[in-house]
Amino acid sequence: MKIEQESHDQYVTLIPEGDLDANSSVYLDEKVKNLISEKIFNVHVRMDKIAYISSAGLGVFISYVDELATNNGKFVLTHVPENVFEVFTILGLNKLDNLKLIKEDVDPAPVFNE
Amino acid sequence: MKAYLRVRCNKSYLSTIREFVRSRLTDLQVTGNVSSQIVLAVDEACANCMIHQHQCDDYSTIEVAIYKEEDTLYTEIKDTGKAFPIDQYQPQSPQEIVKRRGKGGFGINLIHHIMDEIKVEEKRDYFIYRFGKVIEPKPGQA
Repeated sequence: MKIEQESHDQYVTLIPEGDLDANSSVYLDEKVKNLISEKIFNVHVRMDKIAYISSAGLGVFISYVDELATNNGKFVLTHVPENVFEVFTILGLNKLDNLKLIKEDVDPAPVFNE
Repeated sequence: MKAYLRVRCNKSYLSTIREFVRSRLTDLQVTGNVSSQIVLAVDEACANCMIHQHQCDDYSTIEVAIYKEEDTLYTEIKDTGKAFPIDQYQPQSPQEIVKRRGKGGFGINLIHHIMDEIKVEEKRDYFIYRFGKVIEPKPGQA
């Protein structure tokens, strides 16, 4: 899985591309783990190049969201496709405080300051 | 008529399974959100078999079948070994999983949310996970 990374003042943006399933999610997991080891706790993920997500993909976000929150950080997911948003919604994961799901193309910076 | 696909227990074949299920559902005129959900449920069950039953052993295989009976769409995953009793699984809440910082536990949870019928059929040499999803007729269809 190809994952681009961009650094910003308050956060880091990850742009994964492809299907986020049991086969590929390990690569995103590794990226997030590396960011946390570098003490980066505000993680923005652009989701517009994600065509599909399974529980393994959800697991990447869920397994780290508590650690980010403990360090005053959060996940902000923008450009979330409708079909991907739906998978989060099935389990009620769209209502977690430190995992913000946004379908639109928005600047994530203000969301990290909320 | 049942459509079958047999694949090796290598996670790289999960996309092949999804494509097979999606294509067959289109043939059966099951599309949109319902199709996406069924594809997801089958993907979760197959990933569980590959990872937990076979430790992704490339020499093992699983078989996926799809068919429709009246208003219900059925998918079956046939595998060897001892079945995980997913029909009796008590899903954890998302909050519980967040607290334990776990990566797993969502797949079977998703299957239970998506499917109307979940059965495990154990035979001597193999088992079958059978999932049923009631398909609402589209407007204009009998």
